[in-house]
Amino acid sequence: MTKRTFLHDNHVKLGAKMVDFAGWEMPVQYTSIIEEHKTVREAVGLFDVSHMGEVIYKGKDVLKFLNKVLPQRIEKLTDGKAVYCQLPNKQGGLIDDLIVYKLEENKYLIVHNASRIDEDVNWLSLNIGDLDVEIINESHNYSMIAVQGPKACEFMNAMGVQELPKFFSIAKGQLFGTELWISRTGYTGEDGVELVIKNKFVSKIWDKLLEEGKKMSYPVKPIGLGARDTLRLEAALHLYGNDLDETTTPIEAGLSWSVPKDKDEDYNGKSVIMDQIKNGVSKKLIGLKMIDRGIPRHGYEVFYNGEKIGTVTSGGISPTSGNNIAMAYIKNLDNLTVGSTIQVLIREKYYNAEIVKRPFVEKRNKTNI
Amino acid sequence: MNESMLCTKTHEYLLELSENTYEVGITDYAIEQLGDIVFIELPEVGSEFVKNEVFATIESVKAASEIYMPVGGRVIAVNDKVANSPELMNDETNEEKWLVKIESAADQVEFADLLDYSDYKEEIE
Repeated sequence: MTKRTFLHDNHVKLGAKMVDFAGWEMPVQYTSIIEEHKTVREAVGLFDVSHMGEVIYKGKDVLKFLNKVLPQRIEKLTDGKAVYCQLPNKQGGLIDDLIVYKLEENKYLIVHNASRIDEDVNWLSLNIGDLDVEIINESHNYSMIAVQGPKACEFMNAMGVQELPKFFSIAKGQLFGTELWISRTGYTGEDGVELVIKNKFVSKIWDKLLEEGKKMSYPVKPIGLGARDTLRLEAALHLYGNDLDETTTPIEAGLSWSVPKDKDEDYNGKSVIMDQIKNGVSKKLIGLKMIDRGIPRHGYEVFYNGEKIGTVTSGGISPTSGNNIAMAYIKNLDNLTVGSTIQVLIREKYYNAEIVKRPFVEKRNKTNI
Repeated sequence: MNESMLCTKTHEYLLELSENTYEVGITDYAIEQLGDIVFIELPEVGSEFVKNEVFATIESVKAASEIYMPVGGRVIAVNDKVANSPELMNDETNEEKWLVKIESAADQVEFADLLDYSDYKEEIE
């Protein structure tokens, strides 16, 4: 019962290795995860992210509604602007993380994680109450291609798209004669855009981008989910289901920067979230870099002075630095800060690791704070 | 791949070098399935393993895989080159992808479930 994107045949033709991801048959790699990773850090990579959910929220009370369910101050968005948000439950745990775009007055687009679309829409529907809000799930009508890398915008210019929206903004545009939405966002730590395209046009646009890409002086290559994961890990971007779930709050997850401290409206989980901002958290997400030779992976236990203090939620190698890195939730002990040495249990042996700042590599897109 | 090697269903191979001495590694198919190999942990020379015991770990970008002994034996050599430079496993020009050499007095019972290379090829197709 796995679903296929409208680019499935394109991936198979390119020789991709396909795997099941969140109920979708997706390309994990075309040639080599490390090569693909480097292509995105050095030039341009194309990703099929059609599994992501696109849902429209509209109606005269939609702003009030979004402010009731999200910690962020949605009224600050002007037309075409976007903001990274979390969707908390009543305890402050996260049902999903999202990007919210204001398309126009009383009309917003939210991009949801593939595995959470149904859960999110159910939850949000329950929160409408007597507000005038309509939720239209457009996920099955739209595909998405991410174009990411230091040359991504130059490449889009070369493809005839002269005017690109600013970082964390969206605009209607045209590519090869087809109307689409262009969003200056991504999940790699690089500059780039995500193209929201009607299903029937996506296959041609994908092929044309790759074909035209061959004429560039830099590589433009398809990138699978394997490199998508190593890229986002280096950039310390959270993966829902690994680093975020219904038991973690935005504050524990290190997302305080994205949570306004001055929001007047009440929203789900606000009391827990505000209390954690004021009084601190009992567990926190950290970045770690292995000192000893070993690769930390999702689920591995973390120790300090022989006591278990936490668990790795995402880990692996950083193809950019060659280091083995991870994100882990640990007990918020006072003496554990950046520079502290802790241990990761790998195959019944303890390996030293150092707590380090996140992200693990320098981000080259513009900050949205 | 050498036609005279014996393979396991878990994609290890065993190649006889001389009487009671064997080379152990993973098949080309296994390497291709793993993708970029980034970490290899090999046992110490002198360590002993029984048949089907984990003797090494190979990690690709995506995951860690345990490698099992095709037959019981004692390790007499390890391939430090690939342990120090795991990317050599993905290098088509490198012909030294073996993991360990073992001395084994395994009897026919231990060999019974190993596949001829031709049977293994059918198995993976």
